[in-house]
Amino acid sequence: MSFQFNIKDYDDVAVVPLTHDGEEDNELCRIMYSEEYKQVMSLVRALIKENELSVRALSLTSKAIELSPAFYTVWNYRYRILEHLLQEETLLQNGHDASYLLNKELDWLDEFTLNNPKNYQIWSYRQALLTHLHLHATFTREQPIMELMIDDDSKNYHVWSYRKWCCSHFRTYGHELTFTEKYIERDVYNNSAWNHRLSVLKQCDIDFDQELQYAKGKIEYVPQNISTWTYLRGLLESQETPKVLVDELLTFTTKFLDESSYALEFFAYLNSLPEVNEPQKAIEAYTTLATKADPIRKNLWDHKIQLLQKS
Amino acid sequence: MSAKDMARANYISSKLLGRKRNTVEIVTEEPIENIMKEIETDTTIDRHNVMDMCQELLNEPVQTLNRKFALEGLMFALNSTMPPQMVALDAAQAWTVYWITNSMQVFDQETLDDEDRRKIVDKLFLMSKDKGPFSGGESQLPHIASTYAAINALALCNNIDNCWDALDRKAIYEWLLSLKQADGGFTTCNPVGECDTRGVYCALSVASLLNIVTDELTEGVVKYLENCQTYEGGFGATPFQDEAHGGYTFCAVASLCILNKLHTINVEKLMEWCSARQYNEELGLCGRGNKLVDGCYSFWVGSTAAMVEATTGVECINKSALRKYILNCCQSKTGIALRDKPGKNGDFYHTNYVLMGLVITESTFKFKIDAERKSPYDMVSVPSTTESATSDLIPINPIYGLPADTVEKFHKHFT
Repeated sequence: MSFQFNIKDYDDVAVVPLTHDGEEDNELCRIMYSEEYKQVMSLVRALIKENELSVRALSLTSKAIELSPAFYTVWNYRYRILEHLLQEETLLQNGHDASYLLNKELDWLDEFTLNNPKNYQIWSYRQALLTHLHLHATFTREQPIMELMIDDDSKNYHVWSYRKWCCSHFRTYGHELTFTEKYIERDVYNNSAWNHRLSVLKQCDIDFDQELQYAKGKIEYVPQNISTWTYLRGLLESQETPKVLVDELLTFTTKFLDESSYALEFFAYLNSLPEVNEPQKAIEAYTTLATKADPIRKNLWDHKIQLLQKS
Repeated sequence: MSAKDMARANYISSKLLGRKRNTVEIVTEEPIENIMKEIETDTTIDRHNVMDMCQELLNEPVQTLNRKFALEGLMFALNSTMPPQMVALDAAQAWTVYWITNSMQVFDQETLDDEDRRKIVDKLFLMSKDKGPFSGGESQLPHIASTYAAINALALCNNIDNCWDALDRKAIYEWLLSLKQADGGFTTCNPVGECDTRGVYCALSVASLLNIVTDELTEGVVKYLENCQTYEGGFGATPFQDEAHGGYTFCAVASLCILNKLHTINVEKLMEWCSARQYNEELGLCGRGNKLVDGCYSFWVGSTAAMVEATTGVECINKSALRKYILNCCQSKTGIALRDKPGKNGDFYHTNYVLMGLVITESTFKFKIDAERKSPYDMVSVPSTTESATSDLIPINPIYGLPADTVEKFHKHFT
């Protein structure tokens, strides 16, 4: 039996049509399926009903997923088929090798992923595969596809999320600083890259001061960038901060007050901290934000001013 | 405007927007001082394209909602077959039904008649033969997001032919429990599904409406959600500290409101994050840092701000500016009425969420009965008195994404 889909392999299957298949009825919002789609999906329903967990069923799911990538029922079915094919008894029966099957599956998945960047199911399927079926998976094997996908769409939420999962699953964080640096160098506004960097920082063996310098350098490069300022604040809040560091950051921030609303916001935040306790300076900064620098957020700035006036 | 800029504006107006009339330069008084010094990257190039597309539309006075066009489109869609490309939603059919019917009901509660409601119920129960959990379509596996959408759509059917009583709530409860994970989250589907704040929200929304919430079901949920809040103030998809995102933030915050636990997270930072999603130039909301405005975040982020408002009394977004973005930039003149942004086609998803976003901009939020009790069923939008002309839409409950009185009536039915 070949892994290639061929409609002739299913000649013996009694298809299961939908209730209203092809009828002129008044089912609400009925989709006008193509003939090919109807044929493939009625075969899928038939094989699922029979619980057929075979190589030809696997090929059929490839075809169905290609036609309807978000069809989670087929992804689930595919998972159960693979799970069965990987059982020792089935492997012997079919003359398959487990690692051959698994690598073939990952190759198929990689190719499919490249054509479907916005799909949810790919990643949860991949996670399930790596968690329960592929016990010799490696981070290295996962790297190229993640990198290709992020190269193509540098803020692809699913892929960044999957990468975090991989780091945690394989307990490996060594590549992450270089990886995020690559995307920050390419686009300093890439919030996904900055977020990833902060989320892995605790696991990476980093020098706090060095990281602080890195963030400050990127702020000097482009002062009006929300990603770097929230990163700096995130970094600051990630640990106990000595007063001397807060003072140093205040001096640093003062340099950008005329050219960055985010600098003003951070300046106001620092001045509101108990260590600094300069509410009047904070209020002035919030007032500038509300009237000139970032007026659309006036409601928030007014709220901040009120909080300071109350305390 | 320089000759080069004028030529560019002409190009956008005639070639991209298909306008026939000449482009005229309108000088507005007192432009906002532009302090942005930036470098050219993918982020700034993309943003400038959108700003250019919005600019001309925003120079016009605030537009009114074209109710007739939008409603006609929705009614037509409800009673027509969907073209073959809608196969992309073949595994999300309950969503199509919810988006269309909810949009109609947010316009006007008289828009559905009993015959429509019967058709909706028939369609929904095709996705749940045993009237327990719902699937994306006939003969598909039960899915938590489909169940959420189907239950919401069913709530809009006003118990026609006792369809509410037909639901097997016990089966739904047991199935929800089977989706629960050790970390407090919920997967969307078994054995392969996504575990993120969407799962939690869909489970809690369904369970609270059907009055089947138990301690067993909610155990560990608050901790799970707390771990999804990131250093930016919004929430990511999972406790792995994914990037804060409008959709996942809505799911987390609405879940916390259902459990009356919003105070356990950093609300101040959440406010900062919501407010930072709004841009001075486009006036609309984006879904994450340095990303583009999109009409759908008028609901995902707007509703989050509304829940914060009902809970704290602080309004953290600029509603009238957002209203202008929606009315001037998100109305499509052809096809389906409401859209993401200029240059895009409208669709049912955006129609539903942009419309509810519009309600949010014309309302204030509070708890209807007793602010101390903070029951999610009592959180409602109250038409604000400051807007001179409103779009005359129905008050919504921001937690459930349904008309407020639908939530009240549906929930009461099961108590």
